[in-house]
Amino acid sequence: MHNADLFNPSRRRIVGAGLGAAGLSALPMHAALAQTGELVVAAAPPITGVFAFAGVGLHQGLGDYCDWRNQTKGGVAGRKLRYIGEDSGYKMDQAMSVFKKLMGAHKPPVFYGDSTAWAKAASREVSQLGSTLTSSPSFASDLADPKEVPYYFMAGPTYTAMGEILLEYINRTSRGATKPAVAIVYSDTEFGRDPIAGIKAKAQALQIPVVQEIVTKPGAVDVSSEVAKLRRSKPDFVIFHGYVLAPIPEFIKQMREAGMSTTPMGTIWSMDQTTVGAMGAAAQGWMGVMPYRYTFDTKDAPTMQAIKDYAARARPDMKYVPLFYTHGWLVGMIFSEVMERVLKAGKPLTGPNMKAALESIDNWDTGGLTGLLVSLKGHQIASGRIYAYNAESKLMEPASGWIKTA
Amino acid sequence: MRIGDFRASYAQDEALWPTRVQQSCLVALAVALLMLPLGVNGYVVGLACMVGIHCIAAAGLNIMTGYTGLISLGHAAFMGVGCYAAAWAAQRGVPTLLTLLWAGGLAALLGIVVGLPSLRIKGLYLAVATLAMQFLLVYVFREWDSVTGGVRGVNVPNAHILGFELLNDQRMYYLILPVAALMLVGARNLFRTRVGRAFIAIRDKDISAEVLGIDLLHYKLASFALGSFYAGVAGALLGYFYRAMTPEYFTLQLSIFYLAAIIVGGLGSMLGTILGAVFMTLVPEILRAIVALVAQWAPRATEVLSPMQQLVFGLLIMGFLVFEPHGLLEIWRRLRRSFHLWPFRS
Repeated sequence: MHNADLFNPSRRRIVGAGLGAAGLSALPMHAALAQTGELVVAAAPPITGVFAFAGVGLHQGLGDYCDWRNQTKGGVAGRKLRYIGEDSGYKMDQAMSVFKKLMGAHKPPVFYGDSTAWAKAASREVSQLGSTLTSSPSFASDLADPKEVPYYFMAGPTYTAMGEILLEYINRTSRGATKPAVAIVYSDTEFGRDPIAGIKAKAQALQIPVVQEIVTKPGAVDVSSEVAKLRRSKPDFVIFHGYVLAPIPEFIKQMREAGMSTTPMGTIWSMDQTTVGAMGAAAQGWMGVMPYRYTFDTKDAPTMQAIKDYAARARPDMKYVPLFYTHGWLVGMIFSEVMERVLKAGKPLTGPNMKAALESIDNWDTGGLTGLLVSLKGHQIASGRIYAYNAESKLMEPASGWIKTA
Repeated sequence: MRIGDFRASYAQDEALWPTRVQQSCLVALAVALLMLPLGVNGYVVGLACMVGIHCIAAAGLNIMTGYTGLISLGHAAFMGVGCYAAAWAAQRGVPTLLTLLWAGGLAALLGIVVGLPSLRIKGLYLAVATLAMQFLLVYVFREWDSVTGGVRGVNVPNAHILGFELLNDQRMYYLILPVAALMLVGARNLFRTRVGRAFIAIRDKDISAEVLGIDLLHYKLASFALGSFYAGVAGALLGYFYRAMTPEYFTLQLSIFYLAAIIVGGLGSMLGTILGAVFMTLVPEILRAIVALVAQWAPRATEVLSPMQQLVFGLLIMGFLVFEPHGLLEIWRRLRRSFHLWPFRS
């Protein structure tokens, strides 16, 4: 090649050089990162999309826990944690793509996904790899199955267990010979339908009559015909599941206008303080199951105090620590506990070793984040407490003790 | 500078890739694609698999919409039919290649049913009819528990080719690549036949086509069947690729994704289909990679910049529609012309 050509490139050479550079950039570059001694905590939280209201908090909570752990305990077994989270957009394609990308680039021992669909799609690959423990914000009952989904756990009770805790509360607080009547209102989604069979079975076992079952679209607006059905069936409690906010406020508003004294109840994702506050006047009387303490409840709960302090220091613009943040923090705690147990036993961080370590967690003190000592033998934390909204204090206040399901 | 191609026979005139340069590029591309999994990590192979699946599905929609002028908003639902049909067959031990044909065939049959209104309506009215089918089929996916697993979804066993289990993306790639290549070449070839030309005639003016002796009933339904067949095969491959599927995947959003892919790529062109599928799959990945890169220095960047990705992606699509209505294909053609005529201006 003539030397002058180097300084007088043609379009073909420029394009060729560009394509060459692009090709080189596609080569694997994970080896250097995988051997730095850091423990990578990888995640695909839904920072955008329909679940973004929760995804940002999940991302912040998990990431902040890793930073807090590094600062206060020097990481896990002497190795620093490194959190890497990329937006899943709450789309399965994108979540799987992030999963494959981060697994290929960093080979993380733990991975946090974004949904039930992701957990199901990734489970076979995770089982084949046998190198990673996973979790996600999904509490789908199918996923708390150590045999079928061995490397997945959930940092809370399944949706079915949440329904059971609500029914336990109803059963324990009922007075007189007749059990209170219950109606179930749920969204026509995988999320909404998940616990319904389990809730009905538990109600039957407790001899609580389920007098009405209503399915709606997830963000339904006009619920007048559904409220009319509720009015006719006269339930004492209505359990809402599969929603975050809409159409719950509209239901409660119309139920109040119809003179119904029914108590509305919800499950975890409609229990965030700001979400409940957004219901406005309809929030009065709202109850539901929460597997964690709220961050204002720091009495005898050092972890909640640590969350509150760290969030105030690291995120001064955050006025309220949402439950999603607490959930992310707890997931980080469990990931760390599992990795610590494996590393302290002198074993490599493989899927089977981490599964065994996960299942060895029993009577584990989360520092008050959960009300009871935690067991993860069944890959879920099957306990929770009923909280009720107090419109005067504008706080979710405990309405029961901590309830554990079978 | 190249001034033209000299073709001395009908065979040369009919060749899909008539010039030596084209043939060489094609061979180089084929070799590069075959070698790809050996030189890149699982993430890139996974992306390549998705590009392949999207190419097949988008090709099907381009046959219907780009070549025949039949707008469909129900393409995702046909993919769903293929996916669930494949899951059903695979669970019963049907060989993978037969499963692909079964999935495509079932989707094609449904395509014929959906295509029936196209004999009376067209344009936006037909789009609404296909939209109705989109919702209807998604409803069936959610409710037909015994076959589709309902809202919980369905597991798809690993694909097998001649007793060889395709248990990871690298192996799936070698199923998806030849199927995609075969179907894209087949589609390109189709438009050199009477059937393909009939499709184009219908798109350009269906009344004139009928006057010319083209049986509208036959060809419109054939177009729907063929497009749906492609969607069904793509859906089956998608099921094998993810190995689990829920009805929430096959939403209207996915149908619009494919419509956007063929519009951005170039309507009525197989190369445009590929360019559109590549663009729609890779651009969001590239934008996310940029965010991840920035996040290495500014940890809060993920929270701030992630929502911006969608904005940028939307603006890019709008930009293409405004500044290059003929899609990426036209940009590609201009680029080629510029190289052919260099150093003169095209």
